[in-house]
Amino acid sequence: MPDTHFYRYDEYDRRLVGERVEQFRDQVRRRLAGELTEEQFKPLRLTNGLYLQLHAYMLRIAIPYGTLSSRQLRKLAEISRKYDRGYGHFTTRQNLQLHWIKLEQAPDAIAALAEVDMHSIQTSGNCVRNTTADHFAGAAVDEIEDPRVWCEIVRQWSTLHPEFSFLPRKFKIAITGSPNDRAAVRVHDIGLRLWRNDQGEVGFEVIVGGGLGRTPMIGKTLREFLPKDELLAYLEATLRVYNRYGRRDNLFKARIKILVHEIGAEKMCEEVEAEYESMKDSALRLAPETIEAIAGQFAPPPLQPGRTRVPEVEALKLEDRNFALWLKSNVAPHRVPGHAIVTASLKPAGAPPGDASAAQMEGVADIADAYSQSEIRVSHEQNLVLPHVAIEDLPAVYRALDRLGFAEANVGKITDIIACPGLDYCALANARSIPVAQRISRHFAALSRQHDIGDLKIKISGCINACGHHHVGHIGILGVDKNGIELYQISLGGDVDFGRTALGTILGPAVPAEKIVDAVDALVATYLEARSAGERFVDTYRRLGVQPFKDRVYAAV
Amino acid sequence: MAKNLSGDLRVASANRLVDGMVVFLDDAGQWAERLDRAAVARDTRSAEILLQRARLESFGIVEPFLVAVSEGEDGRIEPLSLREKIRASGLTFAAIAAEAVRYA
Amino acid sequence: MPLFREGSAAPVANDQPAPLPLADWLKDRVGPAVALANTDDVNELQPELASLTLITLHFPRFSDGRAYSQARLLRERLGYRGELRAAGDVLQDQLPFLLRCGFDSFESDQKGFGEALARARTLFSVVYQPTKDGRPTASQLRLFGRRVTLSAAE
Repeated sequence: MPDTHFYRYDEYDRRLVGERVEQFRDQVRRRLAGELTEEQFKPLRLTNGLYLQLHAYMLRIAIPYGTLSSRQLRKLAEISRKYDRGYGHFTTRQNLQLHWIKLEQAPDAIAALAEVDMHSIQTSGNCVRNTTADHFAGAAVDEIEDPRVWCEIVRQWSTLHPEFSFLPRKFKIAITGSPNDRAAVRVHDIGLRLWRNDQGEVGFEVIVGGGLGRTPMIGKTLREFLPKDELLAYLEATLRVYNRYGRRDNLFKARIKILVHEIGAEKMCEEVEAEYESMKDSALRLAPETIEAIAGQFAPPPLQPGRTRVPEVEALKLEDRNFALWLKSNVAPHRVPGHAIVTASLKPAGAPPGDASAAQMEGVADIADAYSQSEIRVSHEQNLVLPHVAIEDLPAVYRALDRLGFAEANVGKITDIIACPGLDYCALANARSIPVAQRISRHFAALSRQHDIGDLKIKISGCINACGHHHVGHIGILGVDKNGIELYQISLGGDVDFGRTALGTILGPAVPAEKIVDAVDALVATYLEARSAGERFVDTYRRLGVQPFKDRVYAAV
Repeated sequence: MAKNLSGDLRVASANRLVDGMVVFLDDAGQWAERLDRAAVARDTRSAEILLQRARLESFGIVEPFLVAVSEGEDGRIEPLSLREKIRASGLTFAAIAAEAVRYA
Repeated sequence: MPLFREGSAAPVANDQPAPLPLADWLKDRVGPAVALANTDDVNELQPELASLTLITLHFPRFSDGRAYSQARLLRERLGYRGELRAAGDVLQDQLPFLLRCGFDSFESDQKGFGEALARARTLFSVVYQPTKDGRPTASQLRLFGRRVTLSAAE
């Protein structure tokens, strides 16, 4: 088994995950025997990632900090075949969802996960969820420090935390190690941003109370600079304040963002700092050896610096227009010269966004073995990433991805749509999102047109819970139900890129499904006609405001 | 052509505990996988009784509830709401095929 | 409501005085036993805390986890050594967490609770977080292991 370049479980991690499987197996047995009511069982299955959806149980598998080895990805493929219908969906929190799980087989499915050091612990329920990171971590040019080290530290601290397993509501943490925030830290319950101060020390900006959903909010800075070794103590203080004072009377007002909103950021800060002051010298202070031992496991792979301009690549660029476009949109610079970060687009025109069949997962694992140090990442935009590809291997990777159907040159473009599963799968949804995504992506499939339109992020949610992150889409689409008809509310100008976080502005009355493509067409046309050189869609919108877009859309629908 | 869209017709539905599959209570008080086997309540009182029965037969299923349906000329039952249509008949698009890869 | 303590799968006799609700106890601040609502501030028990023999904390629903914080503050911050009882909606699947937070007696009418209590401490042989239950965390064990290895190598 090849060594990974990220955290490897030791006997302690393995024992815990194995014991968790056995605990859940017993809980399932008791439920099926009628010894537990559904009300008693529900939180137990949720904290093992098992939702009851429209048609079946859905299992949400944790992919900590979006990082997978090829061995793990193959196992996910095998599990999707054996326990599901041969495919899975990569989510906006870097997890994998399987939509057709049987309760009676769920313990076996998570036992299979445990074989490759994976689990579904706390991917649902009122507890601390999967801590997400920048999907380019460890490879990005602009990175200050690898955030995944801290994601792993937080993962362990938050797993089966005895005090925080029955919070008022779910709790999501994201960490970025780069000034260009690819982890959307300002729309998380806690966001952590690594940065270097004037003394040259690296610490965390701690941001609290961001979130999407019914009441979207951008997080407030709780602490400008927190020394790294104090992270767990500070998180514990924050969680304790939340556990004690978060609302428990109203499901829709129970997130920490509401607490911050109601008492104010300043008071929140006081409460956390007071609690933190009482525990600063606690056992939670991280020993340097502990940090180093974990950080060491994320040491970069041994990549040989190489040429940036490779003749074979240059030649193929001229020969193959799609390859040229693919290089522009799907390939990002790597910190090691001669290397690149490749995004496999899981958004082929007309396909359900973010889905991969078992065979496709295995195909990506093979490519990772051959060309990316056996490592794969999951982005929160529902794509897969090959983080360590040599530039000279780009033609081979492109061809291999193309055979899988994952080489569409559309990353960051109009057809790189983020969509939640929606009413086709989800018991919470009001409207479908996947057919809307399919319709839009088919309409805009022509690649040269997509590249002309440029960077444009469409994000679709089937209900107010916003799992599709529509609030932060350049174009956000929210499905609503009005008298049994599916209607779609459009918003403009949301963003989580380049350290800029903005919530979208609603355009006007919701439009029916048949008019969505016309509406998007009108938005694009407005942009193309009005744009200045170098302006992206969202930049033109910021310059002109909503009116010209609104007028054009409602003339067209 | 559907008649009786007023919502007077109801069936009882739930998800099966063991596998989450959508099921409907049939005339024999068993939970059937197919909507066309469902017992149909034709007025409010019968609907109440149907739901009570569903709750009594609750071992092996999760949280039964009533679904409003319409009945076609041919006797075909269909749920009124899109959500229940989807529950009864599945995804409204083709999910990724299991072997969607072409290896050169 | 049956009362359970570790060491017995069967319910045990309730040999403690009936706890006073906090508001009543605050009148005289005497009495060895207090019952807190999960919104009460544990600091109000100072400085008499050391003389208390029983504090009961409340779970209005098992999903309402405020008493876990109260328990840890009492045990770890304020050093309470008497009996700490969980009352209300107390279910066996919460036992590993309850024990780690410092509870040592439980009111529950759930079938099989006593047997579950007997197993609860060993359900997980590894813990990640330090509490006052004395269990070394995985981090601490790893550190100890590394230091032993280092000193052995010297």
